[in-house]
Amino acid sequence: MKEEALKVINEVLSSGRTALVEYEAKQVLKAYGLPVPEEKLARNLDEALRYAEEIGYPVAMKLMSPQILHKSDAKVVILNVKSPEELREKWEVIHENARNYRPDAEILGVLIAPMLRVGREVIIGVTEDPQFGHAIMFGLGGIFVEILKDVTFRIVPITERDARKMIREIKAYPILAGARGEEPADTDAIVDLLLKVSELVNDLRDYIREMDLNPVFVYEKGRGAVVVDARIILKAPR
Amino acid sequence: MGESVIEEMKPFFEPKAVAIIGATDKRGKVGNVIFENFRRNKERGIFRGNVYPVNPKLDEIEGYRVYHSVKDLPDDTDLAVIAIPARFVPPTMREIAEKGIKSVVIITGGFGELGEEGKRMEREILEVARENGIRVIGPNCVGVYVPDTGVDTVFLPEEKMDRPKSGPIAFVSQSGAFAAAMLDWAAMAGVGIGKMVSYGNKLDVDDADLMEYFLHDDTIKVVTFYIEGVKDGRKFIDSARKITRVKPVIALKSGRSEYGARAASSHTGSLAGADTIYDAVFKQTGIIRAEDFEHMFDLAKAFAALGHKLPKGDKVGIITDGGGAGVMASDAVAKFGLKMAELSEDTLRFLKDNFPPHAVAGNPTDVVGDTDAERYRIAIEGFVKDPNVDAIVVIVLFQVPLLDEEKIIDILAEYQKKSDKPIVAVAMGGKKTNHYAGMLEERGVPVYPTPERGVRALAGLVGYARYLKKA
Repeated sequence: MKEEALKVINEVLSSGRTALVEYEAKQVLKAYGLPVPEEKLARNLDEALRYAEEIGYPVAMKLMSPQILHKSDAKVVILNVKSPEELREKWEVIHENARNYRPDAEILGVLIAPMLRVGREVIIGVTEDPQFGHAIMFGLGGIFVEILKDVTFRIVPITERDARKMIREIKAYPILAGARGEEPADTDAIVDLLLKVSELVNDLRDYIREMDLNPVFVYEKGRGAVVVDARIILKAPR
Repeated sequence: MGESVIEEMKPFFEPKAVAIIGATDKRGKVGNVIFENFRRNKERGIFRGNVYPVNPKLDEIEGYRVYHSVKDLPDDTDLAVIAIPARFVPPTMREIAEKGIKSVVIITGGFGELGEEGKRMEREILEVARENGIRVIGPNCVGVYVPDTGVDTVFLPEEKMDRPKSGPIAFVSQSGAFAAAMLDWAAMAGVGIGKMVSYGNKLDVDDADLMEYFLHDDTIKVVTFYIEGVKDGRKFIDSARKITRVKPVIALKSGRSEYGARAASSHTGSLAGADTIYDAVFKQTGIIRAEDFEHMFDLAKAFAALGHKLPKGDKVGIITDGGGAGVMASDAVAKFGLKMAELSEDTLRFLKDNFPPHAVAGNPTDVVGDTDAERYRIAIEGFVKDPNVDAIVVIVLFQVPLLDEEKIIDILAEYQKKSDKPIVAVAMGGKKTNHYAGMLEERGVPVYPTPERGVRALAGLVGYARYLKKA
């Protein structure tokens, strides 16, 4: 687990960067058993076409560049690409958008990902406190985190009991529990995610500065969860 | 840590002989007040150790021989209290080290809080302390107050600040001014403080050391902290986890606002304020967070009286002699996340059979304004026996005409003693009510001036009981 994750981290550090692009961040998460979509990094159009075929249309395309960390601002995320023809066309568009946003952007490739069924959006994050060390955060995504700041923290490492309490103590918990006749969300999957993030950060505490898994889609009870987007910021090497 | 900390810290709380460095006969000077504290406590027979004033310019104060230097001190000296200007402290620390004294309280201010030179002196002091195995409380603090052993380094004179009686509460404060004000208030409110430590700049002895000590201190049942900041977060977490499994710890943390603009590249980073992190630490370590100073002592009082019989669940029964107060208490039950107990059929029948027709059996049970003490007894008896009730709030408006105050106090004390359910009393009123409230507290029933505060304190007990069950 740790070795695989460290391989990715060391490669990023040796290229002089401290911010992992989404693809790299997900590699690190995957090494710790976190659920990420079956997606692949295409370095050229041929690869993109092949991967899209393997995954099955429709697909999502996300351009990976260390200089573009806010992908939607740069319009380098294109969803619901339905055919090889459309993919060829969007391949040009996505590269052009990247060049318009940051002419100097180094492009690592385009992530070809399956279109995910939308679930309830949650955010899991990590930050480092100068006194207490790394803390893990949990909350519901969207307005709950942006406007209401309805989030909760614990110091890493956390126990299963901590994880369950975190989920229950946010104000928006009824949305996960199943308000207004909705099916309850898979809170066990969230517990599993929180514990895995805690383990990851505990192992890699000397490397990781901050982390956002945002959003994570959580499905109905028994249907699991998936990390849709992820960011990891490393500590600058000493 | 563990046993060694206990041994190291002991002289702070029960020294064989204390040296007051900077003792003087000039009234109002810090060195004079501290000397006077020890002198008076020795005369009263509370302080049983020796008192050695140290001052190069004096030979005698109040009949006590004054030592001209640390070197001259008798060998039984095991605690030094320093109240001399900052620049003399580092050389004095060296003399203390040579003398072999292992516990030092530095009252003097003007160190790290004032800038570079102060920080340099602090480093020098710490170095001497570490090399020689000396434990230091302070600098820039009011130090230690222990009513049982007569240790009192608080430089606010007795004429200006009352000292509280002894009790099972330990009180630790980063701020000296807050500590002093609290002691004064506790004395007035009749809250017993077993040990007070104000550590100021926290150069050496910190919250974690004190938690370790209080964990093993049988005279202490509840630990309260006023914290501004923690230095070693990991050590704090470890010590807190250990003690909260045995004794409740209540913390009042100041600085609730967010930390200004901390550079954060992630969403999470921008959402993490110092306060949210402390909240997390307190939750994870089982420390009970107080909203304010009043809450802190409301909780401390509840734990001191009821820590040995924590509620088994969160279902509250309310007994009152005033309808409005009962409603307020019910609202508070909902507000603080507790539940109103649903009385059993047996209890309801028992109450109805024994009540006059105009008294209201239920939850709340209203014994109404023409109640006597006996009607309260019936209500309490019913609630205590009801398996659906985990904790009882008894609101006593002492003002009602037929209520014999002494009798109701006896009844409450009796049930507090014989029932395993915690009973919290609420008494709203003025001077006369306060008088009876004081009597009730003496008998082991914590009393609160409003239903809201009573229920909030009870919620603290329920929360801690829940924590212990899962810890």
